[in-house]
Amino acid sequence: MSYGSPPPPPPPPGGGAPNPGDQPEWGQQPHQPQGGQPYGSQPPPPAYGAAPGYGAATSTPPSNNLVLAILSTVLCCIPIGIYAILQANKVNTLWAQGDQAGAHKAAADAKKWSIIAIVSGFVVGVVYFIFSFMVAASGTSTR
Amino acid sequence: MLLPGALTLAAGCVAGYVYTADPNVAGTWYPPCPFLTLTGLWCPGCGSARALHALLHLDLGTALARNPLAVVVYGYVLVAFLAWTRRRVTGAPRRLAAPWVTRTVLVGVVLFWILRNLPGMTWLSPA
Repeated sequence: MSYGSPPPPPPPPGGGAPNPGDQPEWGQQPHQPQGGQPYGSQPPPPAYGAAPGYGAATSTPPSNNLVLAILSTVLCCIPIGIYAILQANKVNTLWAQGDQAGAHKAAADAKKWSIIAIVSGFVVGVVYFIFSFMVAASGTSTR
Repeated sequence: MLLPGALTLAAGCVAGYVYTADPNVAGTWYPPCPFLTLTGLWCPGCGSARALHALLHLDLGTALARNPLAVVVYGYVLVAFLAWTRRRVTGAPRRLAAPWVTRTVLVGVVLFWILRNLPGMTWLSPA
């Protein structure tokens, strides 16, 4: 893989992105007329032309959810958290390549798989707890 | 500030539990690692509770011996949490790290996972 393409997008400071700070909500940007692309330097994402004006408000990158992914890997002991880290990595890579829609998709995936890992870890823990409690209660074993 | 506060509270509860309930002792309750149970191999997170317990008791050496990655992760999460809270307060925009940074994280975790299961590398695992 070559990541050699010049990394355009990091938003110009004070670039007038209307939403301060966090997660740009997908559907909520004011619909901009086609021509109004303030950041002309960005190549428009080729395959995702469906949302006109999309590039404007999303110049704030999505969270790559890396913290969640790492935590799910390290604390939940479910190695599917690794896949979440992979997706989180993809967020940064795609964003640097200018593929904003792809970055958002990867960010959502990173979040989804982190949560799956966390929930499975939690379920396994609870099942184990109930199981060990029953074993202890039946008197066959005490830890 | 509601969410950062709630997260701080939750983390405090977890820390309080891990501080008092020693994961090295049989009889304290901790969720088992499904990967270790199923395969007999260490996962990247094995030893993270013991490492946290040691850290909370200010025993960095033991923490590193149980799971060095977890020690790094705890530090990283703390820093990331503070940065995230600051962004929420000031409204500063999020900036993504360069792709090589996250790629290093990915490769690092996978390497760590493999290495700590190799013979002679027990210093990376709780064994």
